[in-house]
Amino acid sequence: MSTQDNSIGARIGTFGREAVQNGWTRERFTLLGLVGLVLIGLGPSFQVYLFTEFMIIALFALAFNLLYGYTGLLSFGHALFFAGGSYGLAIVIRDLQPTIADALGSGVAPLVTFVIGGLVGVLLVVLIAIPVGWLSVRLEEIYFALITLAFGMLGYSLIVQNPAGLTNGTDGVLVLLGFVELGGLEFRLGDRRVYYYLTLTIVLASTYALWRIVNSPFGTICKSIRESPDRAAALGVDVRYHRWMTFILSAVFVGVAGVLIAGLASVASPYHSHWTQSAIAVVATVIGGATFFAGPIVGAFIYLYVRWGISRYPALEAHWEFFFGVMLILVVLYFKQGAVGGLVMLHAWLLEVQTVYERDGAGAAASFVGDSITTKLRNARDVIVARLRSVWNRLRSIGQRGAT
Amino acid sequence: MTNTIAFIGLSDVIIGLSLGSRLFLIAVGLSLIFGVLGVLNFAHGAFYMIGAYVALAVTNSLIGNFWLAVVIGATAVGVIGVLIEVSTIRPLYGRLEGDLDQLIVTFGFVLIIHEVIRFIWGSQPYSVDAPAALDFSVSVGGGTFTAYRLFVIGAAFVVMLGLWVFITKTYFGALVRGTSSDREMASILGVDVPRLYTGVFFFGSFLAGLGGALAAPLQSVSPALGDQVIIDAFIIVVIGGLGSLSGAFVGAMFVGMMQALGPQFMAAGHIAIPFLAMVLVLLFRPEGLFGGFGE
Repeated sequence: MSTQDNSIGARIGTFGREAVQNGWTRERFTLLGLVGLVLIGLGPSFQVYLFTEFMIIALFALAFNLLYGYTGLLSFGHALFFAGGSYGLAIVIRDLQPTIADALGSGVAPLVTFVIGGLVGVLLVVLIAIPVGWLSVRLEEIYFALITLAFGMLGYSLIVQNPAGLTNGTDGVLVLLGFVELGGLEFRLGDRRVYYYLTLTIVLASTYALWRIVNSPFGTICKSIRESPDRAAALGVDVRYHRWMTFILSAVFVGVAGVLIAGLASVASPYHSHWTQSAIAVVATVIGGATFFAGPIVGAFIYLYVRWGISRYPALEAHWEFFFGVMLILVVLYFKQGAVGGLVMLHAWLLEVQTVYERDGAGAAASFVGDSITTKLRNARDVIVARLRSVWNRLRSIGQRGAT
Repeated sequence: MTNTIAFIGLSDVIIGLSLGSRLFLIAVGLSLIFGVLGVLNFAHGAFYMIGAYVALAVTNSLIGNFWLAVVIGATAVGVIGVLIEVSTIRPLYGRLEGDLDQLIVTFGFVLIIHEVIRFIWGSQPYSVDAPAALDFSVSVGGGTFTAYRLFVIGAAFVVMLGLWVFITKTYFGALVRGTSSDREMASILGVDVPRLYTGVFFFGSFLAGLGGALAAPLQSVSPALGDQVIIDAFIIVVIGGLGSLSGAFVGAMFVGMMQALGPQFMAAGHIAIPFLAMVLVLLFRPEGLFGGFGE
């Protein structure tokens, strides 16, 4: 055990040294990113809250995309697992906090309750996902979307019905994160900054786990199923079983996001189990780019920050959904790679600009930039004109035939 | 009201029929479009809502005639449907995973239509007056109903019958059925499939608009309407069978009855029953209880 600790320590040391010495390496980027994430926790209180929400939605969408982008199954019922995590935490805190406080003392009780509640939430999600997934993966495409929608709304209607007084109906269950006193350290778990760092840790760990999953042999099989279920089956993959496992894994991480949102919003609300909540994951993932691992993260960022940006203009405030509707349609029709695809293209283009600059100097680079921008705009114009023309022809032909 | 103790009164059945008729008018267009084009139109509930709002606008305008409002509402929604089909759904027909892309694109229109409606009319609920000719009460089975409510039930039956005649007895109905069962063969035999698709999309959207406009006096018209009805419509077409007309009718009546009678014989759970039925049908009879297209 100790050798392993040493080796991890040594690796972190090497990592840090390399990051400082070798210029703009991946390590340095990672380190800078981490420092940036830690610093965000010290920013204005509202920004900390917004970024926490962004991280949670990003995890929600990432886990959703394990099923959509990586396996090709569009679920409209992942809100069920989001709410499962929320209610698991909320009910444990409501019903067990006093017992745990009696057993362990009130100092550590809130923290212990949170951990137990989170585990119960995730366990609850697993218990729901096993049968729901087993049944759902029997269907494909539109039918899969419909059955997950039905399961999600079944969960919603059960939550609203308040079985055995567990879920408190439409009001939801309040989540009160108390004061923690731990070895001289004293903080409120629900404090925005404290909760930010807690969320940051859990989301980073979950993202890393998801990254490992999609890059494992398991993830490769997922992608092969997405490309062609028949061919995967011919190669000996048990497609249905594999989809089932992916479904459960996806649900688990959605559950983790659900636990975190309940703590952030201070309530487990039936709203979180409604199909419109599932739609958030769809919107974020499609706009960000479902074929990229980072797509849902960028999509969630756009979702929350564009919404926040729009909300600063009172005239537009209530109408941010309009913008996402337009984005969704444009991305599906013209640019399936989404925002991350756009960033990748931008990066490639900047590298080209750099090459030209190093070879021929600033003037050539400037004209290269000008040329390629006009070419791109011209292409875009051609696409738009062609589309409008085909729509116009279509409508005109309908009109003509109607007249004859 | 003397029958409050009665287990199921006739008046409850009429309320169920009334809710079911309203739902049928939404679901039938959705089912028709899916049956022929294979497109699950998420925006269908939003189309229904447009129909209701256009009826509201025309009734409250200088024209002020409810029947004209119904015609204008239905036609306007049909035209909007055609514009959407031609501009954004058409490019997706041949695409791999096109089904899911169509679902996502039409969901984009749910968001857009919702916001446009809120932009024009705001978030407050409106009510539309029933036409004066039918604005009187009738006593049936111990309950009192407006004549208009009974009229909408009749209208749903008429639409059902008219569609059945159209699909099974007319030449165009034969073209629609043929294209629905084998698109390529229909195309080889000289059917202008793209035009037929646009036509069916117009007709399906028209029915959604008709439903919205006809049902406007029976409900409060608010921007939440679209989201509420689309889920009911999904339940109905799944239970009845995607593409099945009689299935849409029976499914609509089942959900309508569930909403009207459910609370009486089970205190909890009546909201969940339709979803449970949807799950069971998808698992055991994914083609729906009433099978194929046009039946």
